[in-house]
Order: sequence, then structure tokens, then C-alpha cells
Amino acid sequence: MKKTLTIIALFGFALVFAQTAANLTEFKENISKQKVEAKKALKPYRYDGSKVTYFNFKTYKQVKEVEIYLFNNTDYRFSFNGKSLPNDVTIKIYDEDKTNPKRILLTEVSGVKGKNLVVESKDLNATYKSKKSGASRLKRVFVDYEIPGVTGAQNKKPTMKERGAVILVMGYKN
Amino acid sequence: MTRRIKIAVMASASLLLLGSCGGSEPDDNQVVDSIDTLEEDFDVDLFESPEVDYHLPSPLQVASIFKKSGLEYNTGVTNSADNSGNYNDELSQHLNFGVYSADMAYCVLNEQANEGRIYLGVISTLAAEIGMEAVFANEDLMDRFELNIEDKDSIEILMIDIHERTEEYMEENDMQHQSAVHFAGAWTEGMYLGVYDYEHNGSKEGLGAQITEQMAILGNIIKGLKDPRNDGMELGWVVTDLENIQSTFDSFGSVSAYYEDESADELTLSDEEYSTLGELIKALRSKITNG
Repeated sequence: MKKTLTIIALFGFALVFAQTAANLTEFKENISKQKVEAKKALKPYRYDGSKVTYFNFKTYKQVKEVEIYLFNNTDYRFSFNGKSLPNDVTIKIYDEDKTNPKRILLTEVSGVKGKNLVVESKDLNATYKSKKSGASRLKRVFVDYEIPGVTGAQNKKPTMKERGAVILVMGYKN
Repeated sequence: MTRRIKIAVMASASLLLLGSCGGSEPDDNQVVDSIDTLEEDFDVDLFESPEVDYHLPSPLQVASIFKKSGLEYNTGVTNSADNSGNYNDELSQHLNFGVYSADMAYCVLNEQANEGRIYLGVISTLAAEIGMEAVFANEDLMDRFELNIEDKDSIEILMIDIHERTEEYMEENDMQHQSAVHFAGAWTEGMYLGVYDYEHNGSKEGLGAQITEQMAILGNIIKGLKDPRNDGMELGWVVTDLENIQSTFDSFGSVSAYYEDESADELTLSDEEYSTLGELIKALRSKITNG
């Protein structure tokens, strides 16, 4: 009897696992589609690459950071797609990384959930120059995703509803 | 990624088989723990990005920046396609995949389409050897190249397509850690082409500034190479050489002065510093391309 129950339990787990795998496959496929959408928003800038930042909403706030280089007075466009977000996140862009307490906030974007938003490096540069006297141009930026805490989230074993991603596609003016 | 999903599914299947065939009867808690562990590995590995990450520029962007800075085309400076047959180990194949990608971008941007076509052939061959043949399969890239050989913009778009497909393939197949190895090759070649032009065609201010600006990426390339998943490739000497370039650069008087002066705009090295940096880059490039 105990053996039969064990087998049934195992089959149950296998089914749950298969469902999880299917959900994750769908999640990945959606991200591919959203990347295409984000890429379209770059035009007429030239595509340079993408960075998908994956995370799981937890009961506490998290910050994930992506460093991006800006070269030789080139104009860049950053296209953020938040259509794989179950909850909103805040995007903050700084001139320095999160260990630097004197860093300058260049822009802050909220309401990215379900949308595709574009940020231009020329706007970031203008803010940078206005906030830092004598500064000429940004040579890199740090994109911080502030992921809020969610009450009741499963920190150790996140479910699909806690899974999220922001797709960032970058382009430069040729 | 796909590979890991398969492994996880196979592990589940194995558990089922063990459960039904085994003589001993596992208690309920033991079974639950095994499944939990699998699910945890699945989640942590696949859908949780690191707290701190970075984006490295494509070889086409780097070549474009160098060109805007005054880099001229120099015949015979790129790594000869004839050398491609010498790359028989995994590391030299990955590194020179990056080297040839930079060379192809350099040729295309300088309207040397015939050279670019040769490099596309070499890159396709190396891609097959490092398990990325699918990037170049199902679409005759060479035909597209031939068809647009007179149209620089179309060739550049073709290069972007290749870059994007490579990026996607590596992500889907859990190979992203290897992109740092490709990038190390591409970065070294880009810097080498810059240094060569700087030394042979007069010290151009813009080009010199671009060489120093490209140094900003090096820290993240080294970090990427040190990813434990790259351990099997015997990258030790590449990391050592790149760290030596980084520490030599950091020790330059001009670099210290630049970071001490908050109002400093562009970093310009002295002739001696350029020369020291150039020698280190040339030595590393030689080691990489000699296989």
C-alpha cells in the first residue's frame, strides 16, 4: 500500500514538474517575442545587443544592476520591455554603481509593467551635466531595477506568478 | 538552458523508475526533498540573474567607434584566414572566433567586402567546431553576403543578424559564460588594430583616446573569463595577461592623475605609456593568434 502511494505521489510530482517546465517554456517564448518588440523601438538606431534580467519577487526589496558602456560621444537608445512582469518595478539609471554613495540619479522610470519604454543617452547626458559641474559626458551608466517586496511571496520556491524579467535592448546611432 | 531542462526531466524520470522498481520503500519526506532540490536548482540556475551584471559592446560597435576616432584600414594587419586551421583546441577556437569577428567588422566597415566574406567563411567553420553550427545553418549567409557585397549597409545588417543569432543561441543553450572568451579575443584584436594604426599612421589624438576608453571594459571581460563554468578551458594564461595589462594601465601616472582630478574630461596617456600598453597588447594578440 505504502509503495503504491509513493508511486502515485511520484507521478503527481512528475506532472507538477512537467507543468512547471511548460510554464517556463512559455515564459521564455514570451521573452523572445518581447525582445523583438523592444528591438523595433530602437529604430533607426543600430541594434547592439540585449540583456534580459530575470528575478523572482520576494517578500523583501531587491536591486539588480546592469553596467553599460557609452563610447566616444555616441548616442545610445535603451529600450525596456516590461511585459513579462507580474508586478511593477522601478528603473533607476545612475552614473556610478550602487556601492558609490555619491552617485547621481540620471532618470527614474516606473510603470514599466506591461509596457515598452525608451530612454535616450542624450537625455541622461544632459541631466548628468546639469547635476555635476564641469562634467563633459557619461562614459558608462548603471541601470538599477528596484524590485519591490511582495507580501506572501515564496522566497525559496517561487511560483510562476512571482517570476519576472525586464528585457533591455540597446542600440547606437550609426 | 534546454540541456538543463532535459537533465531535470530525466532526473525526475529516474526518480520515478527508482521509486517503482526499488526494493526499499522511501518515506514521504525523502521523496519530497529530492523533488524540492530539483526545483530549487532549476529556478536558481535559469531564472535569477546576478545582482550585478554588464553588457559588452558588439564587435561591430567597437569597430565603428574606432573608425569614427580616425582608425584607417591597414592591409595585411588582420589575422590571416590561413591560420584558422591551426586552432585545434577549444580555447584557441573560442578566442579566435572573437578575433575573426573583430576582423570581419573591421573589413566591412572599411569597405573591404571581399576580405569580410573570407572572414565570414572562417567564422562559420570555427562556429561549427565550438558547437554553434546552428547559428550559421538553415540560412545561406554567404549567399546573402554575395548578393549585397556592394552594399555596405546591408552587409552591416547581416553582421548584426549574425551577432543577434549568436547571442540568442548562447542564451538558449546555456553558453553565455563563453561569450566572455569570444569577447576577450575580439577586444584584443580591436585594441591591436587600434595600436597598429596609432603607431604607424601618426599618433592620432582621437584614436589614442579611444584606446584608453576601451580599457574600461577590461575589468568585466576578466570577470567573465573567471566564471567557474569556463574552468575546463585552461584560461589561466589569458586571465594573467589581461590582468597584467589592467594593472600596468592602472599604474600609469596619467591614469592616476585622471582619477584624482574630478574635472578631468578625457584620459590621454604619455607616448611612453602608449608604447608600454601597445607592447602588452601585441604580445597577447600574438599568443592568441599563434594558437
